[in-house]
Amino acid sequence: MSMAMQVPPEDVAPEILAAISNLPGASAYRQACAGYFAQAGIPTTRHEDWKYTDLPRALAPWWPKLSTPAAGEAMLDAGVLDALLVDGLDVHRLVFVDGCFHAGLSDAPLRADTGLYVGPIAPLLDVPPTWLELDAAEAQAPLYHGMNAANGALFTDGLAVHVPDGQALPRPVQAICLSRSGQVAHLRHHIRLGAGARATVIEQYASAHAADRQDGALDNAMSQVALAEGADLTHYRLQQHGPHHLHLGRVQVTQQGGRYASHAVNLGSHLCRLDIVAGLRQEGASCELNGLYMTDGRQHTDCHTHVDHHAPSCSSREFFKGVIDGRSHAVFNGKIVVHAEAQKTDSAQSNANLVLSRQAEIDTKPELEIYADDVKCAHGATVGQLDANQLFYLRSRGFTEPAARQTLTVAFADEVLARMPDAPVRTYLERVGLSRLAAATEVLA
Amino acid sequence: MLKIEDLHAAVDGKPILKGINLEVKPGEVHAIMGPNGSGKSTLSNVIAGRDGYEVTRGTIRYNGKDLLAMSPEERSWEGVFLAFQYPVEIPGVNNVYLLKAGLNAKRKHQGLSELDAMDFMGLVREKSSLVRLDPDFLKRSVNEGFSGGEKKRNEIFQMAVLEPQLAILDETDSGLDIDALRIVADGVNTLRSPERSIVMVTHYQRLLDYIEPDVVHVLAGGRILKSGDKMLAKELESRGYEWVLEEAAA
Repeated sequence: MSMAMQVPPEDVAPEILAAISNLPGASAYRQACAGYFAQAGIPTTRHEDWKYTDLPRALAPWWPKLSTPAAGEAMLDAGVLDALLVDGLDVHRLVFVDGCFHAGLSDAPLRADTGLYVGPIAPLLDVPPTWLELDAAEAQAPLYHGMNAANGALFTDGLAVHVPDGQALPRPVQAICLSRSGQVAHLRHHIRLGAGARATVIEQYASAHAADRQDGALDNAMSQVALAEGADLTHYRLQQHGPHHLHLGRVQVTQQGGRYASHAVNLGSHLCRLDIVAGLRQEGASCELNGLYMTDGRQHTDCHTHVDHHAPSCSSREFFKGVIDGRSHAVFNGKIVVHAEAQKTDSAQSNANLVLSRQAEIDTKPELEIYADDVKCAHGATVGQLDANQLFYLRSRGFTEPAARQTLTVAFADEVLARMPDAPVRTYLERVGLSRLAAATEVLA
Repeated sequence: MLKIEDLHAAVDGKPILKGINLEVKPGEVHAIMGPNGSGKSTLSNVIAGRDGYEVTRGTIRYNGKDLLAMSPEERSWEGVFLAFQYPVEIPGVNNVYLLKAGLNAKRKHQGLSELDAMDFMGLVREKSSLVRLDPDFLKRSVNEGFSGGEKKRNEIFQMAVLEPQLAILDETDSGLDIDALRIVADGVNTLRSPERSIVMVTHYQRLLDYIEPDVVHVLAGGRILKSGDKMLAKELESRGYEWVLEEAAA
């Protein structure tokens, strides 16, 4: 594996170490991560999991800025949030700009004696951080790479949602993570639900100013999710950056039971790499990963999912769809590992891709590793074009050709959105996410 | 209404239609019968404008206009309707949406205002009763999970909403049990009018017991070999197609 990792430029690691002293709390953890940074390296395309995504090349312009902290509370254009708010959904809102909490645009933290907390993570870092100890143990996990380590060392802030046993969050939490052009953000979110606790969390990533959408920025976001028995988390992750952005995301889920449902939608960025890694560690846990990626122009989006079945009688469901247009490139890899002790595993995975242009490329790979003998695992991947019979049927009923194409494309993508339990989120995504598809559908008014 | 002259068409370079001549006047119902592989469905698809059918010679005039120069959607806007032999399932697109968009595109083309949701739903309720389709059914995806009979009824329902001037019914009777056939035929009969022409393409005479044609044509080997009144269909039913082929060869 070391062969497939590239050592970061040698001046970066000392800069990270130097930067740590200015960051809030958790210095032992940060130093451990900084130490791991150079050692872990940055995966090259010779690494099997990074075959199609050239991370060293994408990162090269960002090395000098990697550990430059964002300055103060940012000034933002009025109305920058308008395009990001979900109509009809009453949320607890938190806004982060370049990785820093923006109190002025956010609701006040929610804190109760019971241990309930919804707010920025930075103020928690000096409190006995049991979750960081947990992270420290996992920080050396083989799936971590240098940028994950950089996140651990350099994160400035992020969302914390802690819901104690038996409680339910009164309303969904929406964390809006904005990037300004030229800035680097390291965000660390932490979601922990106690036994039987329930919550809905929306993570949203976007460029801060409309005008900035032509400029680049980098955000490196990690979400740590821990669910206890009977906990229930609905987790939306919406990536809507401008077309010159570099987005790195990782969601790490540990389930001691409970139900985790993820809805990951990737629409933006020049290059986006998202890793969702879920470990089912207690009998009866269930995990549902839904996803949609839409790429156009010269976008590159890479979604990797990895589900580890460690305990018996757990179920995992994966449903990812992609719409690939222009000269864009999408990558999907879904790996399911059923460990020897995970008898009676019930797992199904599906990835369907719609390729709309001849220059577009999709690489999809389902991977199953099974070490138990009494399991039910299904997987399948498809790549196709719009159906000529369906197109003709719509046209024969009066749809113009562009309208027919858009209608079928939206219908294809909508199958993912239909799985979202919150209708306002679905409606929002249909409006903003699919608007570029609907733009030409004049007959659909 | 429709005038086809010396129509030749090929699929994948293979000639299928070899000189069709057919004239359909307003209000007439024509039946085109013929053995399998005679070119019946090719003729339907050429009229509707499906890709992959190459017209190598001949013309189709529709209301005096060059039909072959129009896109499938323009044909629809101008009042041509094809009831599909195999109606297509379109998951994620509901029936009401399909029809509303289709009807409003046509109305826009005609310079009429678009129907609002209320007026449209009223129309849907009225027309769906024609073929005894539950309006709730129409909130589902187009033809998805419909039985064979429901799909064909849905085609006739769409015809009722879009009110074409020229309807091509491509093997609308195939796959229907006798009750469904009666419902579909009743629907079509209700839609007969002096301004509306209907061309039924069918393998069997059975449909013609319910929808009485003005003219019956026998299509075989890419040509119309014989035309007559409804008695011709009866004769085909009892004697088969063989004698027509022999007569034409003689």
